[in-house]
Amino acid sequence: MNFPQQRSERMNCPRCGAVMNYHADKALYFNEGDETRSTDSATGGFIEEIHACPNCGASASRPASN
Amino acid sequence: MEARNLYIPVVLGTVRMGCMSAHAARVVAGELSKRPGVDTNLIDIAKLPLPTNDAGEAIKQAEFSANMNKADALVVVSPEYNHGYSGLLKHVLDSCLKEYIHKAVGIVGVSAGPFGGTRVIQNLLPVMRELGLVTIFWDVNFSNVQKVFAQDGTLTDDSYLRRTNKFVQELIWMARTLRYGREQVRLN
Repeated sequence: MNFPQQRSERMNCPRCGAVMNYHADKALYFNEGDETRSTDSATGGFIEEIHACPNCGASASRPASN
Repeated sequence: MEARNLYIPVVLGTVRMGCMSAHAARVVAGELSKRPGVDTNLIDIAKLPLPTNDAGEAIKQAEFSANMNKADALVVVSPEYNHGYSGLLKHVLDSCLKEYIHKAVGIVGVSAGPFGGTRVIQNLLPVMRELGLVTIFWDVNFSNVQKVFAQDGTLTDDSYLRRTNKFVQELIWMARTLRYGREQVRLN
């Protein structure tokens, strides 16, 4: 599949170092103690990017960049 | 053939002593363990040391979180208490969130009455969805559960095995498909 607009930098797997696949955004309704995070105006939540590793299966997340 | 086995833990969703749901959970875990390429594990929520003076991800327990992170799918076995699920099951499920995203879940309902936990399954569906899990369309309903198992936990009605195998078959298909999606299909 071709995805011309990739919204985020690739993330490396914290377990094996492989490039992970960015497969979901999830709105969180708490800021995990990070007072600097801003909420998404559309959802009122903090958007978290969810990534999975095609090599070892690990998952990881990070705050969305936009 | 996939290089990595699927990991599909079974969560026993009650802390009631002597519950019949434990027998149901063992049946499902036993059927999963017979499938090639599938690893499973029975997680009894009564054995998780989660505090009750806070909630949500603030009380995340490392081992349960690691299990959910590793899982490709999960089975929730829930008795029906007053048409609902156990408060402690919700407490445990709420301790994780990101770990569940785009993973399959199947629900096994257990009841002493004739409906086999259909109402607790219906009540769990919106919770599963909000957690980011993807529900399958097969359930297993253990109705009149006190007649389904002998005192030693032996299943006395083999028709439950056939139902459980349909459920397991669908869950594995969803687990494989969602693993492919998580690992290969990029969100655009």
